[in-house]
Amino acid sequence: MADSSGTTLMDLITADPAPVPAAASSSSSSSASSMTAAASPSATHPQHVSTKTTLGEKKSKRAALMQIQNDTISVAKAALNPVRTNIISHQKQKQKQKKPVSYAQLARSIHELAATSDQKSSQKQLVHHVFPKLAVYNSVDPSLAPSLLMLDQQCEDRMVLRYVYYYLARILADTGSQGLNPGGGIPTPNWDALADIDAVGGVTRADVVPRIVNQLTTEATNTDVEFHARRLQALKALTYSPSSNIEILSKLYEIVFGILDKVGDVPQKRKKGIFGAKGGDKESIIRSNLQYGALSALRRLPLDPGNPSFLHHAVQGISFPDPVAVRHSLEIISDLAIRDPYAVAMALGKLVAPGGALLDVLHLHDVLARVSLARLCHTISTARSLDERPDIKSQFNSVLYQLLLDPSERVCFEAILCILGKHDNTEKTEERAAGWYRLTREILKLPEAPSNSKDKSQKTRRPQPLIKLVMRRLESSFRSFSRPVLHAAARIVQEMGRSRAAAHALGLQDLDEGAYGNQYDAVDSLDSDMNDSSHPEGIRRTTGVSNAAGGKDTIAGMLASLMEVVRTTVACECVYVRAMVIKGLIWMQSPHESFDELKSIIASELSDPAWPATLLNDVLLTLHARFKATPDMAVTLLELARIFATKVPGKIDADVLQLLWKTCLVGAGPDGKHTALEAVTIVLDLPPPQPESMSGFTSVDRVSASDPKSALALQRLVQAAVWFLGENANYAASEYAWESATPPGTALMMLDADKMVAAASSRNPTLAGALTRLQRCAFSGSWEVRIIAAQALTTVAIRSGEPFRLQIYEFLHALAQGGVQSQLSEMHLSNGEDQGASGTGLGVLITPMIKVLDEMYTAQDDLSKEIRNHDNANKEWKDEELKKLYETHERLLDLVSLFCYVPRAKYLPLGPISAKLIDIYRTRHNISASTGLSDPAVSTGISDLVYESKPAAAESDTLDDDLVNVWAANLGDVPAVNRVNEFLAGAGTDAPDVDENIISRPSVSYDDMWAKTLLESTEMEEDDVRSSGSSSPESTGSVETSISSHFGGMNYPSLFSSRPTTYGGASQPSERSGGSRVNNPSMYEGYGSSIREEPPPYTSPERYDSFENPLAGHGSHSFQSQDDDRVSSGNPQFGTALYDFTAGGDDELSLTTGEEVEIEYEVDGWFYVKKKRPGRDGKMAGLVPVLYVSQSSGST
Amino acid sequence: MILAVLFANSEGNILVERFNGVPAEERLHWRSFLVKLGAENLKGVKNEELLVASHKTKSGVNDVCYNQKALLNCMKHLHLALAQNCYDFRSFIGLHQNLPTRSVYIVYTVLGDVSVYVVGKDEYDELALAEVIFVITSAVKDVCGKLPTERLFLDKYGRICLTLDEIIWTGYLESTDKDRIRRLVRLKPPTEF
Repeated sequence: MADSSGTTLMDLITADPAPVPAAASSSSSSSASSMTAAASPSATHPQHVSTKTTLGEKKSKRAALMQIQNDTISVAKAALNPVRTNIISHQKQKQKQKKPVSYAQLARSIHELAATSDQKSSQKQLVHHVFPKLAVYNSVDPSLAPSLLMLDQQCEDRMVLRYVYYYLARILADTGSQGLNPGGGIPTPNWDALADIDAVGGVTRADVVPRIVNQLTTEATNTDVEFHARRLQALKALTYSPSSNIEILSKLYEIVFGILDKVGDVPQKRKKGIFGAKGGDKESIIRSNLQYGALSALRRLPLDPGNPSFLHHAVQGISFPDPVAVRHSLEIISDLAIRDPYAVAMALGKLVAPGGALLDVLHLHDVLARVSLARLCHTISTARSLDERPDIKSQFNSVLYQLLLDPSERVCFEAILCILGKHDNTEKTEERAAGWYRLTREILKLPEAPSNSKDKSQKTRRPQPLIKLVMRRLESSFRSFSRPVLHAAARIVQEMGRSRAAAHALGLQDLDEGAYGNQYDAVDSLDSDMNDSSHPEGIRRTTGVSNAAGGKDTIAGMLASLMEVVRTTVACECVYVRAMVIKGLIWMQSPHESFDELKSIIASELSDPAWPATLLNDVLLTLHARFKATPDMAVTLLELARIFATKVPGKIDADVLQLLWKTCLVGAGPDGKHTALEAVTIVLDLPPPQPESMSGFTSVDRVSASDPKSALALQRLVQAAVWFLGENANYAASEYAWESATPPGTALMMLDADKMVAAASSRNPTLAGALTRLQRCAFSGSWEVRIIAAQALTTVAIRSGEPFRLQIYEFLHALAQGGVQSQLSEMHLSNGEDQGASGTGLGVLITPMIKVLDEMYTAQDDLSKEIRNHDNANKEWKDEELKKLYETHERLLDLVSLFCYVPRAKYLPLGPISAKLIDIYRTRHNISASTGLSDPAVSTGISDLVYESKPAAAESDTLDDDLVNVWAANLGDVPAVNRVNEFLAGAGTDAPDVDENIISRPSVSYDDMWAKTLLESTEMEEDDVRSSGSSSPESTGSVETSISSHFGGMNYPSLFSSRPTTYGGASQPSERSGGSRVNNPSMYEGYGSSIREEPPPYTSPERYDSFENPLAGHGSHSFQSQDDDRVSSGNPQFGTALYDFTAGGDDELSLTTGEEVEIEYEVDGWFYVKKKRPGRDGKMAGLVPVLYVSQSSGST
Repeated sequence: MILAVLFANSEGNILVERFNGVPAEERLHWRSFLVKLGAENLKGVKNEELLVASHKTKSGVNDVCYNQKALLNCMKHLHLALAQNCYDFRSFIGLHQNLPTRSVYIVYTVLGDVSVYVVGKDEYDELALAEVIFVITSAVKDVCGKLPTERLFLDKYGRICLTLDEIIWTGYLESTDKDRIRRLVRLKPPTEF
């Protein structure tokens, strides 16, 4: 873009018939198009014509036309001034008139002209030709500086000098390649870099800046009266230098203070009227000019809060006659006041008293000066450090209130904002509440000072309540035709709503409309006493105000009429104004009022295609903020959000919507959770989009997604909703397995499905409702939705206690059935294409999920059997048995963690009865419950976030913690997300590999993910943690289980017979399962075997091993690092990497020289090898070229 | 802070641009955003009729990481963002840290053949920008002597640059008075004697 605009710019400028005929003629003759050139007798530069034509090809037609026109004119001009033309053409600057004018040519002409700057013609040339064209460029190269400085010293012409200052300032400001120089235009190279290669004479900024600064400093300190205009410009140019340069800064401070010391004192008090007019005496005018220049410079310097002379000079500025100087000084002071209100208030002293300079500012013409005054007054009147000086505060306060009457909207609105307690976006709720209190309670009393007699605001002499003034002002602003005014007024309404919401949140309702708006909120008068005591101290009361305000208008009435006007503003053409109005409406919406109107406004607005997506998301975020201010409104706001979801699914960001859902759900409190969840999931119940037959008619409950893009977006939205439901159903229902009191045994009694469902819904209708929805989605949604629904169901199953888990288990089985059948029969034949053809098509996906549940149930059964055995025999639990139990526990935890996040410390995969035993084992072996080192969340550090906030999760009021918690809860499912994504990407569609892919990938991709981040080092540590964790006693359990699982997965059946004591002996694997293990060549078939009997016998202990855990990839990390000797029993081949190898594909493995690997098999010149530890990319196994590995003997 | 002043011709080519405190990588964004805004809305708009837009910017990572603790917090959110396959870290972090959003205001108008855009934040809200743009348009008219055509504008290019330099000085509005600006451009003192 810059380029194209540059071309146009240059074209037009170089074709410039400059105002001086001389320049015009020469430029025009050279720029003449061939046609005009041929026709014109005065075209004397044929060589330029050719250049022009080549350039002309690039030109737009329009430019060409204009060119012709201009040429004609200038040719005519040239004809009128033949003498001039001749003179010019004989002069040497003729050469640089060549087309196109390049930067180099301009630069050269500056050098040349600087040498002859005493000549009038050179000056003209510079002013009219060279300098304006140079302005087109982005920056000026430093090598020009010497010439510019020469001009600065020698030239007399004011215009030339003005340009010289302009360019010197640009050289000073130029920060080179960072591109922070203010000028835009045609991009220029990094001059310093060029200078290094000596392309522009080797002059860098570092060379010239000191010279420029010196020159300018001398000029800025020149006290010659005639020189003072230049002095101001020199000072101005100096302020452009970057503030990082301490040297220049201190010089500037010195100059500015020097000037102000001399001219700053204005002892005589002047009336503005006299000063504004021309014809003051020369001396005082010069003085005022200098004051102006110095303060302007001071404004550009960094604040110096501790410096008394800085403050002193700034305060002096308020009394200066120059309005711009006064503005600057007020801006400086109001900035200072934020840092140190006390010092500023003291320094201002008498100025704020009646007749003081600050009050004169009220009548100053400069708008921004009054804006700064409002800020200053607000800062001081609310400053804590001035609590002992109520007199000062009230003085400033009264000035602030008077600014409400200001004729300029900008000033008035600023005053309103200040009163409302908004200064930046970081103010606290108390401040905002106090602001609303001020606005609704306080009275504007105009000072009785006689000096104000000609004040325009004096029409209304009697005291007025602020709210009334504000309302009247806003209403009239809303009738304005100016869009900025409308936009600003709507913004003010929004801020009003914000402060009002804050006041409500702090329990100030009684101070609101209720106090004397009897049609609204009358109940609250009773509570007023109670609330009075609970007021935050930030709210200062004005005594007896509420009585004095007894106008006939109630606040509620005024608000209502204001809102009426606001609503009509929705008709504005400009979407930005409308967006602001809607935001204002959202903020002004009170939780007790009906929001039908707002709803219909939003619904009809959304059907306007003109809304840009960013604006809509912005409004959504407003909903979010509104909710945070008033959590009561969760359901209302969710309703509104739903309109967005259904009306404009293509435009809103699913992230933003989910955030809103989550916040609402978390913040809705125990009672609201159910409703909140319902409101979210209602998206799932919407009828599918109808063909576009009802255009013009806007219904809230209809989905409008007629174009494919928004249909797709809607689809995504539904996915998001399903996902959300699965993630948060447990939270919403307050049903957690680890908090459930129902022992699993009782659930097993209720195997009858009907009874189960009945029991479930009677126990927890919220969860039951969510389950029903999810089940429906799992059956009838689109393919993607079904997948996510199945995942969501698993999540819920894992997290819920009985009977929900059982219910879901049953359901998943039913869902899997069809798919499994086809899978088994076509296991080796399937090319992956017909996966969706039979059943629900979800079998492949669901199988591992069912297995987890299977495993959990089996283990639970084992446990209860063991317990019974022990009870019967009256035996103590032996340490070994406990250890086994604990291992199982940990293993299941790992397994479960793959599917969703569960709190490791609390979650009991073996059921509540295991709690005691696990606890015994833990205390005995000193294992801290919360440190599951193999939990990816722990090792990657995310768990800090989780565990930190976890305790606050259940009942904390602080939204943010809850939010974090909910987010964290999602986190556990990350692998699942990836899984889905990979699945969708086609990774998992090969039937025989599916299980392994699905299950082992998450950990790999997790590592991948980390390896790819900037956290390389963290990733390394994480690996260390893992391996060191496995060598520490506490995790030996998991190591050993993972050994077995590892070998189960990797087909080393012999291991079991070799280690009967730790594993096989304890769990007593039946012959059958052992056999199936040995016979089955792959882990996958192990799975298959477990599925083939339906329904699963929960009590069969042999299934315990036959389902080996999918953690294979994961757990084996830790295994091999210390158990090499055992590996040898499997007789593997080992090798050492000879060279570094970088993986070229997904299935390849990167190697570092010297790395030891285990060779699995060879295929086509490639080894399939496994490493002992995951490499940098997190991969454990993969293909490497045979030649890269030296084979060693299989034994160790 | 007045973030940007931009002049464009009717075809959306940029004639003059001045940025203050806008990083180079964001300038491109602003250019195209503004030109698009103008192309969509400036059709048939009367001279000097003000149009308005606003733009919310979530503070980015740069604004968030002001100290070590904040940085740590930010990192955690970065983890989350990664974990959620969310690659727009800046907005993600902004979204989840409850950062104050910063509003940027845009006021623009047509003046003869050129359109003028002014972007500001903080104290330069839409109304203050309306003041700024009023000063700019009246000064430009003053320089050109009438409503500028594109050609006239380019003829006066240098003078307009100087004028802008007097109106906006390092991101703050400076002189507002037409005569005063004219004097300053001619290197005369702001108040004549």
